[in-house]
Amino acid sequence: MTATTATGGGSAEPIPLRENRATPRRHWAPVVRNREVAEATWWLEVDAPEIAAASRPGQFLMIGFGVENTGAPFIPRPFSVGWRSPEGVIGLLVRAFGAGTRRLGALDPGDDVLLLGPLGSAFRPEPGRPSLCVAGGVGLAPFLFLAPEFRDRGHEVRLLYGERTGARVFDPDLIRELTRGDVEIWTEDGEAGSRGLVVEGIDLSDDPILMGCGPTPMLQALARTAFEEEIPLQVSVEEHMGCGIGTCQGCVVPAAGGGWMKACTRGPVFEARELQWEL
Amino acid sequence: MGAVSQRLFGVEWQGPVLLASGTCGYGEEYSDLIPLDDLGGLVTKAVSVEPREGNPPHRISETPGGMLNSIGLENVGLEAFVREKLPWLEENLDRARVLVNVVGNSVDEYAAVVAGLDDEDGFLGYEINVSCPNVEGGTMFGTDREALGRLVERLRGETDRPIVVKLTPNVPDIGAYARVCEEAGADGLSTINTFPGMLIDVDKRRPVIGNVNGGVSGPAILPMGVYLTWQAATATDLPIIGIGGIRSAEDALQYVLAGASLVQIGTALFVDPESAVGVTEGIEKYIEERDVGDLSELVGTVDVERPARVGLGYE
Ligand SMILES: Cc1cc2nc3c(=O)[nH]c(=O)nc-3n(C[C@H](O)[C@H](O)[C@H](O)COP(=O)(O)OP(=O)(O)OC[C@H]3O[C@@H](n4cnc5c(N)ncnc54)[C@H](O)[C@@H]3O)c2cc1C
Ligand SMILES: Cc1cc2nc3c(=O)[nH]c(=O)nc-3n(C[C@H](O)[C@H](O)[C@H](O)COP(=O)(O)O)c2cc1C
Repeated sequence: MTATTATGGGSAEPIPLRENRATPRRHWAPVVRNREVAEATWWLEVDAPEIAAASRPGQFLMIGFGVENTGAPFIPRPFSVGWRSPEGVIGLLVRAFGAGTRRLGALDPGDDVLLLGPLGSAFRPEPGRPSLCVAGGVGLAPFLFLAPEFRDRGHEVRLLYGERTGARVFDPDLIRELTRGDVEIWTEDGEAGSRGLVVEGIDLSDDPILMGCGPTPMLQALARTAFEEEIPLQVSVEEHMGCGIGTCQGCVVPAAGGGWMKACTRGPVFEARELQWEL
Repeated sequence: MGAVSQRLFGVEWQGPVLLASGTCGYGEEYSDLIPLDDLGGLVTKAVSVEPREGNPPHRISETPGGMLNSIGLENVGLEAFVREKLPWLEENLDRARVLVNVVGNSVDEYAAVVAGLDDEDGFLGYEINVSCPNVEGGTMFGTDREALGRLVERLRGETDRPIVVKLTPNVPDIGAYARVCEEAGADGLSTINTFPGMLIDVDKRRPVIGNVNGGVSGPAILPMGVYLTWQAATATDLPIIGIGGIRSAEDALQYVLAGASLVQIGTALFVDPESAVGVTEGIEKYIEERDVGDLSELVGTVDVERPARVGLGYE
């Protein structure tokens, strides 16, 4: 494999994705509702008003089961805040990946989870330009939260959402209800929405800025577009996490200038040019 | 003085629970979540002479009852530690004690960190992490008795502050290493650091951890930590800080009965930051309920002499 590295130019000085962050809180929260909304995918609602009120789109929670539990997940797992209700219910989009996520999928109303959040950086709109949000798989989660929040503040949002198969697509009607707007769906098997990769849906004619969350190949495709067309791109990245607050230094991603940045505290949302890419 | 306070290393410790090195950053990160100054103290992330970038990801992964990590001792380096991290500790911690975890690739590097810190304020003493390769000798300080002895002797010459040596479990006879530290002038021991381990992603047929191998921590290592603490405690008279898999008062008390005066909590903090507070409360309750005078009366009192019997009704 020949890999070229690219940084997209520019410096990696801190950018205001990280302003005005609330102090994280740790508390137990009851599950209000949990339902399977697509193949191996659950919409999990937890009652956590304080964390909900403090959360911003792009931020995440660590979800665990406390020290008396030693089964997976023993170390809490990171999940994007997927939505919040005015009453303080937080919605999370959970896809089965391993033992930890399967356990979250099996939770029943009344079960308690231990939350730590809100954590990390947030997506940031650019006044006067639409935010073109590109989601792959459960990378949809932060945009379900972002779309109505940005729209309420007068920012235009367009949402593209791709899955490998139609069976994995999160109910489009529920997406429209949660985001109070439209969604354009792409699947590789063509069983829902348009057939193809979600990045094929990118239309730059109204001078948008790009936001992405999803698998790395999708983020790479977005970065190529953004660097070629010189469009701002913010991406949410994933890495194995331990503490969620920067102490364990477990979740590093490569920085444009060399070295590492913590996905939990500098990220998870980065300007694409802050990161080191292999494109 | 409460039932859990003790005098050790020349000072008063208000409680027996410290946050372990590498799991509490430089203190500040947890200050919003738990009352740090009510704890016994904390041990900073390792400090080396030069900043270290650390290892490529993945740096951590879960394993049943614990985790595997290979951070690579990423740290800001001595100079930035003094400039940016120590002032916070000095300003914000009054009663909780701070040990600075020290690493190096040579005796000189360790000595340079100690010499560079010794006149600063904001900490009590040093925890010497000897799970580091000795570039001069080609071994690890912690698995080479001669190198270990030389290291501790040299550091003893650099400082009058407490020197606590954090032993690696990766040796056949930890008691011998404990004695080497004692003879070389150490004030205490921390037992133990992580166990070497490896996980493989069977789909990719590659190691899960970027650095191939890492250190195992968490409840999975509790019995090994208790055993090694007991072995070290029976081999020396040095005060011991027990570490490994502690997530409850009962776990911590096992270390105390095995011979530890203080304990550290690492991985459990990730699971629940408040676990450190819960452990202290649980130990207080144990002492109160059993009418033990204070914590120091429990240290090393596990009864291994009582013969094992097979008859029913033996108590
Ligand atoms: C900031 C952030 C936000 C996320 N938001 C969502 C979301 O909204 N919905 C969703 O379904 N998933 C999300 N993920 C991914 C989710 O955290 C992982 O799928 C989950 O941790 C896997 O755990 P497991 O026990 O099922 O998998 P296992 O493979 O059994 O886990 C083994 C180890 O790998 C780690 N791990 C494996 N994959 C990931 C990953 N992609 N990210 C982080 N750690 C991983 C686990 O934490 C654990 O330590 C997010 C990840 C991050 C970093
Ligand atoms: C993410 C992580 C980073 C660590 N970093 C250090 C370190 O810098 N120096 C050190 O002496 N020990 C370090 N350790 C080891 C811990 O201090 C402790 O000895 C070990 O984790 C066992 O305790 P636990 O089971 O309570 O976590 C680290 C452990 C973890 C999990």
